[in-house]
Order: sequence, then C-alpha cells, then structure tokens
Amino acid sequence: MDLLSAQRFEAWRFATALGPVALAACVTAFVPARVIAQTGTVEYAVKATYLYKFAPYVEWPEGSFRSPSDPLVLCVIGVDAVANLVDEAVQGQTVGGHAVTVRHIVEPKRDSDCRILYVAASQRDPAAALGIVRGTPVLTVTDARPDARAHGIIDFVIESNRVRFEIDLNAAAENHLLISSKLLNLAVRVRQP
Amino acid sequence: MADLRRMLHIDRANPMSAFAAAGVLLLLLAGMAMVIYNEQAYKDAKIQQIRAQSRILASTVTAALAFDDRKAAYEYVTALGADPQVRIAAVYDARGALFAGYSRADARPPPAAVMEEQQLIRADHLIATTPVTQGAAELGTVYMEMAIDPISRRLARYGIIGLLVAMASLIFVLLGAAQRRLAEANARLEQQGADLARANENLRAQIEQRENAETALRQVQKMEAMGQLIGGIAHDFNNLLQVIMGNLEVLKRRKLLAGDDAKRMVDSAIRGAERAATLTQRLLAFARRQPLNPKPIDVNKLVTGMSELLHRTLGESIKIETVLSGGIWRVAADANQVENALLNLAVNARDAMPSGGKLTIETANAFLDDAYAKANEVRPGQYVVVAVSDTGAGMPKDVLQKAFEPFFTTKDVGKGSGLGLSQVYGFIKQSDGHAKIYSEPGEGTTIKLYLPRLPLAGDAAEDSMEAQRLPEGRSDRLVLIVEDDEDVRAHAAAILRELGYSVLEAADGPSALLMLDSKPGVRLLFTDIGLPDGLNGRQLADEAQRRRPELQVLYTTAYARNAIVHQGRLDPGVELITKPFTYAALASKVHAMFERRDSTG
Repeated sequence: MDLLSAQRFEAWRFATALGPVALAACVTAFVPARVIAQTGTVEYAVKATYLYKFAPYVEWPEGSFRSPSDPLVLCVIGVDAVANLVDEAVQGQTVGGHAVTVRHIVEPKRDSDCRILYVAASQRDPAAALGIVRGTPVLTVTDARPDARAHGIIDFVIESNRVRFEIDLNAAAENHLLISSKLLNLAVRVRQP
Repeated sequence: MADLRRMLHIDRANPMSAFAAAGVLLLLLAGMAMVIYNEQAYKDAKIQQIRAQSRILASTVTAALAFDDRKAAYEYVTALGADPQVRIAAVYDARGALFAGYSRADARPPPAAVMEEQQLIRADHLIATTPVTQGAAELGTVYMEMAIDPISRRLARYGIIGLLVAMASLIFVLLGAAQRRLAEANARLEQQGADLARANENLRAQIEQRENAETALRQVQKMEAMGQLIGGIAHDFNNLLQVIMGNLEVLKRRKLLAGDDAKRMVDSAIRGAERAATLTQRLLAFARRQPLNPKPIDVNKLVTGMSELLHRTLGESIKIETVLSGGIWRVAADANQVENALLNLAVNARDAMPSGGKLTIETANAFLDDAYAKANEVRPGQYVVVAVSDTGAGMPKDVLQKAFEPFFTTKDVGKGSGLGLSQVYGFIKQSDGHAKIYSEPGEGTTIKLYLPRLPLAGDAAEDSMEAQRLPEGRSDRLVLIVEDDEDVRAHAAAILRELGYSVLEAADGPSALLMLDSKPGVRLLFTDIGLPDGLNGRQLADEAQRRRPELQVLYTTAYARNAIVHQGRLDPGVELITKPFTYAALASKVHAMFERRDSTG
C-alpha cells in the first residue's frame, strides 16, 4: 500500500513539476489525469483537516478564550479547494473542549476572535492579511507560501508526495503562540529565531 | 526436618544445634520468599516499564497520527527499538490498521491489526497496547511487545540469592558445629578441671602424708643417728673405763697402797668409774646396743614385785595404783631392763607432780593392727601393754616430740640426765616393742610400753643370782684371751691370772687360731666380738670350735652386734659378758663355765 501510494505521489509530483505541460499530458493521458484529480482532492481534504488538527499542539496565550466553552474559531480568508473543504472537515470536531467553528471572512480584523487564520492561495495580498493579525494570538496558516514575505506561522508544503508543513517560530513568537515539539518534529522545516 | 537434623548432626539435647537448624530453615524460606518477591517485582517493573513506554509512544505519536506522518511515527517506533528489550513497537490508526511498525530482527513482524487494548504476560515477553488519544478523539493504538528475561535466566539471577542463602546456611551450620565443639570442649575442660582438682587434692593429701612420713622418718633417723654416735662413743668409752676400773681394782687388790687416804681415793675413783660405766650402759641402752637377756616374764608379777621400790622412790605425796588385768600374756624381755624402764617412768612421773598426785600402772593385753603399726614403725601383732600414767603437768606438743631424744630434758640443769626416757625408748625398741606418749598439758601424761607377746608357752624359772663368792681358778684351766685393745686384754689377763687360771693372749683372730693349734691345752676362748683384720669374734669362735669342738667360748663386748647377738638377743647357748665387766662378774662367769663343762663332760 505504501509502495502504491508512493508511486502515485511520485506521478503526482512529476505532473505538478511540469506544470501546464504535465497538465496537457494529463489531459491526453486519461488515467494519470484521474489519479491527479483524486490526489488533488485528497491533498486539499488533508490540508482542510490539518487546519484544526494543528490546534492541540498550539498554546494560545491566556485569555485567548473567554471561557472553556468558547468555540475555537477557524477563519478562512480567500477561496481555494481547502477553503471549500474545510467546513466539511471541521464538522463536529472539538479541540480541548472547544468546538471548532469555521468562519469565512473577506477581510481579517485585528483582535477578532479568530484563533486560526487560513490564508487561501487565492488571496490577492496575503502579506497584508497576515500583517493585520501580526502580534495577535492567531495561528496563521498559508498554503504553499504565496511569496517570500507573505508566510504564516505554518505553511503547507508538499514533500515526498505528502502534505507537510513548515513552521516559523519567529512568527509564532510574534503572535505569542507556543508550538508543541510534537508538531515541530513533524515539520519539514522549522524557522528558528 | 529429620533429614536436616541428621545432616547437620544435630543433637536433640543441644539447643544451639536446633537454633542453627531453625536458622537454616528460616534462611531457606527467606531465600524462597525473596525469589518469589523478586520475580513478582521484576514482572511488575517490566509491566510498568512497557506501559510507560507505550504511553510515551502513544503520547508522542499523536501528532504523527494526526498529521498522517508515517515517517515520524516510524522514527518514534524505531527509536524505541534502541531499547534491546523492545521487540515490537507499532502504531495503528483509528481503524486498527498498521500505521508504523518496528520489530526486532529476531521477532515476528508486528500484527497487521490491533483492535482492543490488552496487557499480556507471556513466558518471554510482555504485550501492552495503549490507545492514542487527542482529547476525546481516539487517533489510534500503540502496540508494544517487550522481551523479558526467560525464566531460566531469571532463575539463574536468583541463583545468586540461592548462593547467598547457601553460604549463610553454611555459616549457620558451621557456627552450630563450632558451638557444639565449643560446648564439648567446655565440658571436657570442666571434666579436666574437676580431674585436676581431684588430682591436686590427692597430691596434697599425698604431700601431707609424705611430709608426716618424712617427719617421722627424720625423727627415726635422728634417733638412729644419735644412737650410732652415742653407741660408738659409749663403746670406746667403755673400753677406757674397763682399763681404769681394772687397774684400780688391781691396785686395791694387791694391797700396794699404803695408808687409808690412798685406799679411800682408790675407792672413790672406783665409784666414779662405776658411775661412768652405768652412764655408758644407759647410753648403750638408748642406742639399742645393750646386751639384753630376754626371758619369759610375767609383767603382772614384775609390777607387783616393784611396788615396795616404787613406794620408796615416789614418797608419801604420791599415791600408787596398779590395775593389773588377769590372764596377761607372757612376754620375752629382759626383766631387769623392764624394771629399769618402769622405775624411770615412775621417777619422771614424780618429777611431773611436785605437789603430789597419783601414779597409775596398768597392764593389759593389746593388739596393734596394721594401720597403727605402719604409722608407728612397729610390727603388728599381740603385745602386752604397760601404761604408766600421772596426774601431772603434762607436756606440750613440741616437748612431746622430743621426749625420747637423749639429753633432752625439761628439768633444771643438773637435775635430770635427759637419758631416762631415751633409755626406755631404746630398750623397748631393742625388745621389738613400742613406746608411745600421750599427754595433755594440765591433765597428765600416759606412757605406754608395748612388749611383744612370747610366742611359746615354755617357761623357764628365773635365774637366781649366783653366789657372790669369788671362785678360784686352776692353773690347768688354760684360757685364751683375744682382744685387740691392749689395755683391756691386759686387764682381763690380769684378773684371770690373779684368779689362778693360765692365760694366753692374742691380739687378733689369725694369731689366736695359731695359738690354739700350738697349745692343745686351751679350754676356754675368751674373745672380744669386734676384732680387726677380717675375722670377728664370732667367726673366730666358729672356726675354733670347728677345729676343737670341745672348746668353750665366752664372748665379751661393749655392745651387742649382729655377729653374736641377733636383734639384741643372745643366741641360745652363747655365753657373754659385757664390758665393762667387774672382777667378780668375770670370775664367776669363767668359773661357772669350767664347772659346767667338767660336770657334764
């Protein structure tokens, strides 16, 4: 099974690396195209679930939740496949007693009750959105780091055909967040102060 | 237990051995308990360990499971593999499918699926599963299998406990044995101590006995030595007296002296010499060298015969009581000496009772048993005892011990000779008797004289004294005088010649034999017993009588020795005249011998 999935990821990576050419090839080659499509769906679904799964390994500063029954608000800014899947993924999930709720927003606000902010790849100016919540207790997550300046505390990456992530501890520190070493262990790269 | 007892040589009577056995048993039980406890503790620890490890794994693997990071999960489980005891470590996802697994090279692969939580203890491994939870969500399961030491290795480990127990048991056994040995040794020591004490007691008793014996022996030896010395002196002195007296008598007899003064002086000298002769006789008596003439006597008769003499000697102030038992045995003793001894004791008693008192003379038959005889150097057997008791001052012990010693006296200087008791002692000893003093200071003194019973009933009439006339000799009666002392020989020859006998003189045995051969007329041999040159008087007489059986022999001596007198007794038929002899005594003796021979022959 491992071997099979590795082959699939390998194929998928090959396709993405080639970009449009690969896409064209995918169109011509029917079976690989389906594989890519399935893989892509899995990838986004995984990313969608990861968004709330990060929560247990993140420690927000005291006072971030007014009461233990407060929901953990997952804000999504922008639209992409992840943003589309996240509602379904989060359905019924709780983290540490907090029910996870998704809020799609257009413009991030400073000092909102968003604790996790996912900046979708489609956001036009991710850096600006991230800048708004800088210094507030918000776990920012981006998909594949849109540009050098615009990256969140956690950025999804694809490595070895799998959804992995990078963690920027500087950014986490700016937002007064503590990231569990368990999570750090899983990060493909940890940016340290 | 019985086997153990036998094995340990346990003596039921020895509490220490039982203690040792109990100790060994206790040690064994403790050892077994320790093994069981250790086994349990080991398993508990292992369970704790595996549970802790699986929990740690479950806790660390949550993120990996959550983020589907097989690689990280694999790293975790592989990291656990660094522990050599971990055989299998595996993580399963929420559906129970293997997520990441590690299994040691020699172990089976991790099970494909694990559904339920379990904890199992197998012979050589432990299995533990722990759910991986994130909050309320169950992310999966951790499965671990940990090797534990096989029972054999565990038992081997417990072997050290067994060894310790065995060593402790050995020590206990050794201690027990040592204790037993010690107890035995102690008992032996005690026994030896008791033996030693007993031996010591015996030794002390023996030493005391020996000391007593030595004291007695010293006393006997002292008496003996004094006897020898005094005997020797008295003998020589007697010879000298013989010369003095002889010459004085010749002087007197030949009427050579003019005037009464000279005659008186000679008489005085003769008296002095006679006193000296008496003294030497007493000394010889103590030295047991006085010639005795023992004859069967009736002691009762003798005591009765002395009563007049005793009354006169003791005076009016002293009462005399005689207690004579009937049926008294006869004894063999020199009657004169017995009388002398009794008189001596009576005089001593009188001196002990200056202000009067009572003198008791008792006679009785007595028997001295072996024990008494041994302690007192006397022959056991039947005796007649004559006890002389006074009611006088008595003697303290130190005086008592020395009472028989010559020249020992408690009387004032010049009042006592110190010879009385010693003379009695010498006489009694020479008569095979025994003398004993009992005295209580302030109460009085009893001296007992034991005289041996005469074995035969034969009883000769006591000799009556011979007539005091001096029989003349005849020139055909030839006497050969043998005497080494020239003066004594000359004196004896002078007496015999004066009496009318023919006399030949010889100085020693061999010349006397030559004379006998050359002069067949010799009819009487008058010889001193002690002669020089290897031929004593007895031997000379024997040889002479061998050559001339009809020859008569008259011995003379200052003291009697073995050659002629056995134990102080005259051999039957032997004629003896003791020095110093008087003119009259020699005259009557020689005459009697010639007359007897002539009348029988």
